[in-house]
Amino acid sequence: MNTVVKIENLVKRYGDLIALDHLCLDIYEGEVFGLLGPNGSGKTTTINCLLSLLSYDKGSIQIFGKEMTPVSYDIKKDIGIIMQNVAVFDELTVFENIDYFCGLYITDKAKRKQYVEEAIEFTGLNDFKKFYPKKLSGGLLRRLNIACGIAHKPKLIILDEPTVAVDPQSRNKILEGIQELNRNGTTIIYTSHYMEEIEQICTRIAIMDKGRKIAEGTKDQLKRMIKNTETITTELLELPDNVLSQISALPHVYSADYSGDKLTVCCSGGKHNLIRVLDVLQKNDLSFGRVYTELPTLNDVFLEITGTALRDKED
Amino acid sequence: MFLHNLKYELLSSYRVKDLIIWLIIFPMILGTLFKAAFGNIYENISTFKTIPAAVVVEDGIDDTVFRQVMDSMTEGDEPFLKVTYTDKDSALEMLRKDDIKGIIVCGEKLSLTVSGTGSEQSALRSFADQYNNTQHIVMEALKNDPASAQKVIMSLQEDCSPVSSKPMTQGNTDNFIQYFYNLIAMVAIYGSVTGLHITVNNQANLSPLGARKCCSPTPKAIGLGASLIGSYIVQSGCMIICVSFLRFVLDIDFGDRLLLVYISAICGGILGVSLGFFIGSLNKFSFGMKTGLCMTISMISCYLSGLMVGDIKGDIASNTPWLNNINPASVISDCFYCLNIDSDYSRLKVKLLTMFALSAVFSVLGIIITRRKKYAYI
Repeated sequence: MNTVVKIENLVKRYGDLIALDHLCLDIYEGEVFGLLGPNGSGKTTTINCLLSLLSYDKGSIQIFGKEMTPVSYDIKKDIGIIMQNVAVFDELTVFENIDYFCGLYITDKAKRKQYVEEAIEFTGLNDFKKFYPKKLSGGLLRRLNIACGIAHKPKLIILDEPTVAVDPQSRNKILEGIQELNRNGTTIIYTSHYMEEIEQICTRIAIMDKGRKIAEGTKDQLKRMIKNTETITTELLELPDNVLSQISALPHVYSADYSGDKLTVCCSGGKHNLIRVLDVLQKNDLSFGRVYTELPTLNDVFLEITGTALRDKED
Repeated sequence: MFLHNLKYELLSSYRVKDLIIWLIIFPMILGTLFKAAFGNIYENISTFKTIPAAVVVEDGIDDTVFRQVMDSMTEGDEPFLKVTYTDKDSALEMLRKDDIKGIIVCGEKLSLTVSGTGSEQSALRSFADQYNNTQHIVMEALKNDPASAQKVIMSLQEDCSPVSSKPMTQGNTDNFIQYFYNLIAMVAIYGSVTGLHITVNNQANLSPLGARKCCSPTPKAIGLGASLIGSYIVQSGCMIICVSFLRFVLDIDFGDRLLLVYISAICGGILGVSLGFFIGSLNKFSFGMKTGLCMTISMISCYLSGLMVGDIKGDIASNTPWLNNINPASVISDCFYCLNIDSDYSRLKVKLLTMFALSAVFSVLGIIITRRKKYAYI
């Protein structure tokens, strides 16, 4: 596989704060690469360094096999960027905005017109061509932001938290669109603190915390890094301590906790863990309500590696 | 690429409501207020015309001297009075029809009847008062030294006649015109806000828009150049609208070299944009701070040029003349003075060159600072 982006030992400091701590990343052609981490973990700083917007203290960045500099115009023409904040002109219509940004990359007028129309079609903004951004809803505005970044058909698209403050319906449309772009051969770098999004669309993921890459791999690879393979949750009105001890002693159970009328049992490997837990409850004549079992999530991965849940960090 | 950038720079600029309000509508309102405040006075001074009046000589009065005075008042190309000798009833009828502004009755003393109030009525009243005050002197002079009578009559004539000054050029020399000059200078300096937005829209550390532009393969010099030229064009348009509104709608007399007035105003606008561009490029300050700095400099500059207090510019010229030479608003308004007052272009040339030099310095420094490639913070 061809390496599209190669980051080696990237270090960025803001005074005493280390924003990026010897970060190394390899992103390959045709993949959707996710950068997952809580706010302040260094995702956007990585992107800004990647785009040569930010200066960095140490390390090197190569894109398409060439060193990335602020004047690497031959590299920049193949990159599409969708910023975290909507970056459009309030005074230009939807069509004019897309045409303007596409025109920064494509000089041929006829080709540009075709590309702009395709971007409008792709993002479903056909009915809003003559609308000014202020008249658009949050979701439509995000779609315009995306259209401005992809209209020139780049080989590499960088999306920095493109679904922040977007309703679920628009979010799904955006995610579907990203997957479609990837199916057409575009390499995607996607940053988010929403692990569900990352799990849904990314083929490979790097988890970041405090400027460091703490894990990298496919979803399955990441989940295999941790001992949790299954989490069983049971709703119970009461649970005597001796029963909790029995459950803790079951094979493959490495953690059992009862709080808030909920029994949470974490298992590592093994089969039929749920049946064994329910069997203990039945033998002790304890009635229970809802029972469900979950496979490990990226949050579990983050929790196990850092000792803090991703969502706790967001809070 | 350059034309593409320029096209959208112009398109987005003319749709900015703030720009329309502050650079077009606000100066129009302010200009109209100035006109309302000073225009009446200005008109009275500059458009004084011969006053029509009726003269009624009472029976049995020796009006020899009075007629001599009246004759001198009605002589020349622009006489003070146009008199009609008639009887009292006819005079009152003429006054009622507004054919005349007043009735001068020559009796033992000179008396006056006027309709309404105004500068012409005031002038007639002033004339009558002065006539009565000097009548005694004239009579005494005729009695004692007939040869001096003519001098006394002439003295009376000079005192009563409205003095119309003859300017050295065809320009407008009234004191109130300076407020309109400074108004144009203010619009020009307000262009600094337009200039400030150039840097905001082109710097990655100031706006997401700037970041997106910096990520594109368009060289920054092209983007900046298009933005600067676009802003110059937009600001020039605002200056033309401002001058045209003052000249053709409010009828402000800018003299007979209107084309040069337009050129000076446009140069002033370019200076304003360049100033804002330079302030915007100062990386140490936040956008809010830069906006505040821009407005403060604009206001101080306009204040020192006499927009708020008319005499301050003269005081500065007496005490610290160098300040007027580097104050953008003063330099701009000075151009209009030179155009209006000077018969040659030597001072105007110096002022225009100063504006050009200041614009060039601000623009070049701004480009050098803004073209930095990477930012330490975003």
